[in-house]
Amino acid sequence: MRLYKKEGATVQIISFPNEQVRKGDYLAIEDSKHGDNLIVQVIDMEYANIPGILEELLRNYDGDSSIAGEDVDPFDVAAHIRYIQDARLLICKIRASTHNGKLIPAGSHLPARSYARIRSVSVNELLTRPDGAEGYEIRLGETAEKTHLDVDVRALDGALNIITGKKGTGKSHIAKLLVLSLISHGAPVVIFDLNGEYIGLGQDTEGKPNEFSSKIHVLTPRQNFKVTLEQVKIHVLLNILVNALHLPGTSAREFRRIWHSLEQNGTLTMGELGEAIKNWRCNQHVRDALFSRYYTLLNSRLFTDNPALATSLENALDRARSGGAIVLNLRNESTTNRHIVVEYVLGKLVELLTTRRLRAIFLFAEEAHLYLRETYWDDIVTRMRHFGVFTTFITNQPDTIRENIYRQVDNLFVLNFTNEHDIDPISRAARVDAHTVKSIVRDLLPHHCLVLGKVVNDFPMIVKIKSLDVQAMGQTRLFFPVRICALTP
Amino acid sequence: MVNAQLPITTTPKYNFPLPQETLHPLELPKHFTKLSLLSLKPTQQKQRLSTKDTATQLPTHLRLQQSISSTELFPLTPNPIDTTIVAIDVSSIRLGETETGFLLGVRGAIVWKESKQYRYLRLGPFPFHITQRTEDEIRRLYRQDHPISRLQVRSIPQVYIIQSRLTTLLERWMQSFIIRTTRNSIILWDGSLAVDTTETPASTIKELLTAAHNNGNIILAFSKMTRLSLHGRRLTDLIFKHPPPCLLRIKEHINHFGQIRLMGNVYVAKFTKGKLAFRMDADKRRSSIEVVEAVQNLLGNDSILQSYPETLRLAHIFSTFTATEVLALQRCITQKSGLRVITTLNLRRLLFGRFGKTQKGC
Repeated sequence: MRLYKKEGATVQIISFPNEQVRKGDYLAIEDSKHGDNLIVQVIDMEYANIPGILEELLRNYDGDSSIAGEDVDPFDVAAHIRYIQDARLLICKIRASTHNGKLIPAGSHLPARSYARIRSVSVNELLTRPDGAEGYEIRLGETAEKTHLDVDVRALDGALNIITGKKGTGKSHIAKLLVLSLISHGAPVVIFDLNGEYIGLGQDTEGKPNEFSSKIHVLTPRQNFKVTLEQVKIHVLLNILVNALHLPGTSAREFRRIWHSLEQNGTLTMGELGEAIKNWRCNQHVRDALFSRYYTLLNSRLFTDNPALATSLENALDRARSGGAIVLNLRNESTTNRHIVVEYVLGKLVELLTTRRLRAIFLFAEEAHLYLRETYWDDIVTRMRHFGVFTTFITNQPDTIRENIYRQVDNLFVLNFTNEHDIDPISRAARVDAHTVKSIVRDLLPHHCLVLGKVVNDFPMIVKIKSLDVQAMGQTRLFFPVRICALTP
Repeated sequence: MVNAQLPITTTPKYNFPLPQETLHPLELPKHFTKLSLLSLKPTQQKQRLSTKDTATQLPTHLRLQQSISSTELFPLTPNPIDTTIVAIDVSSIRLGETETGFLLGVRGAIVWKESKQYRYLRLGPFPFHITQRTEDEIRRLYRQDHPISRLQVRSIPQVYIIQSRLTTLLERWMQSFIIRTTRNSIILWDGSLAVDTTETPASTIKELLTAAHNNGNIILAFSKMTRLSLHGRRLTDLIFKHPPPCLLRIKEHINHFGQIRLMGNVYVAKFTKGKLAFRMDADKRRSSIEVVEAVQNLLGNDSILQSYPETLRLAHIFSTFTATEVLALQRCITQKSGLRVITTLNLRRLLFGRFGKTQKGC
């Protein structure tokens, strides 16, 4: 390999056919005289611009059987032609530099083109871990060079993460891997499971209980997840009424009065709430508004007046305190019910975190735009983060996540996208340049992921995510028994 | 640094029918290889190779300037009777300069059109390092009692015209080989049947024409450019008004012009619509009728594009060097003989900027 050109943070390297280089590989450009190395990553590969290549290809095209021939080539010049023809231009981005063996994040040094030596750099050379990191590794999978990619689980702590990729590329698989890794390191996790994909985390591929079975707690609304009004608290219920059920402000104020009245009388039940609305002295329009919301709550069957049937989220979280996951199965829930459940759970989490009953929680939200109200996005990445809610968004529609979320993201797990419109929002992530994302993401194979951010020390890595011995669930139900394999990755 | 004999042999793929006479088909490639190796061998120190002005491929035809008078027009009808067409072309290219001389590559191509199929044989490329020292060895090799010695130059080539001589040497050998191994075919040459007596003896061409005649072959030499004129008009303009395909015979006897001598009759060929026409030379011993018949067979058996036979066009394409091949040859020479390729300053560019065109005007 030879250093050819540098333009800004982009370095072009000429690579010859006998050199094996793949997209995503890291190279060190070594300047032995100054002891400085430049660490670059191959983000794209092109054919080297060889003069006369078109003429050469046209002349030697042998697809047309009407011209056959032989060459008497005593000097084997043809081998040299092939060597030149197949030369590639590696488009690389500068990721770091080393001075006297010490890794420096920036790379301002310009190595000598005439004598700089270029060699491959292994992942382990880049992901040097600080002392005391032992015991915190999680294995994401393996890189193209068949090296295990072990990352520090603490890089997920206090972090905002996004997992995105087009349908069927393995987003949920990565999410499950992260969930199980966090659990095995003693972290509590809450999952908003939109499609019931995580309910089998406690079972192996054969459906038998696995090592996590006692740590996975599936809560299915209306079945094993019901709450009493006393559990809900007024501010949470008001959030539900205003944000999920769009109750106007005047009606909300009347509702607060009704609530306090019932609370003072010690009759905070759904039945009494209905009676109170019926008999409350207020404007008829307000009453009608309150009644319509009341019946929505009643019909959701999420609320119960029987404390024995109610679920204590606090207790469930207590069970997960030393490593466990609460899976909120939203699969068969209406949009309204989803909103109610999410409002309740998030309200409860903030309450528990502010009162220090909970240290921190890792929240996994799949397709969050389907149940998360607008104002919650900023809330989650700013305020709630400080309380200790560390969110991982999982989506196949990256444009549903706002740009300011991408800018604040700490770790990004990107799977294959083909459409440039999908890649555009991701490329705005502050952790990496847009060129890298656009170039690498469209060529990722299924279950191969571009990992960006703190978790990989800001060295973008392509990793084949390791397989998991858990029930897949969430697979699309098919009509035909055999599915035709798609050609695209 | 390479001093020892390089482990290079000719490839065993070359299996065309052997001629009955003295020339062995592998003789010249072997000889050329030896010559090439010898030229590269004396490189005692790593020399730097200049790549300035390297892409100048030498035209292999000669030009005449002569005034001639009468003509005879032959309208042509393509005759599809099965006839083998063989075309030969050779190219050479300057690969770069060294401190003591220069490097060049030579390659030849033969293309056959037979039973509606084209096939080709490429000989080379042969890299040469031409220096004052290697010239002596090349000269010694010329003098050896070897079949090609009958075909090669009489005078000792100077360093800077050796490119033309080596090109001619390979071309004459290939022509000789084809003439002796092919029967009843139309053989197409690139250039004319004019000879510069300092470069190729007339006897050599005469010998080739005789051998061709004896084997029932007819040689048609096409010149892409000619300076021959008639009454102040360019020869190829004379056929402008005549509908194609047609052949215009220049009946005037053409004399010697300096050291250049014509060994054939001159025709102007216009095979397709358009402005393009070419000078075509044919053996003097062939009557106009025989030449017309041959050309009609050519039209009936070969594709003609812009008045030029496809077989000859392919021979040219297969022999011509592309820029990639120049790079490959430079790399090959660097690896095999230790010569290092460098780019020297282009003084004209340096002094005159965008106005500093190369001497070739490109």
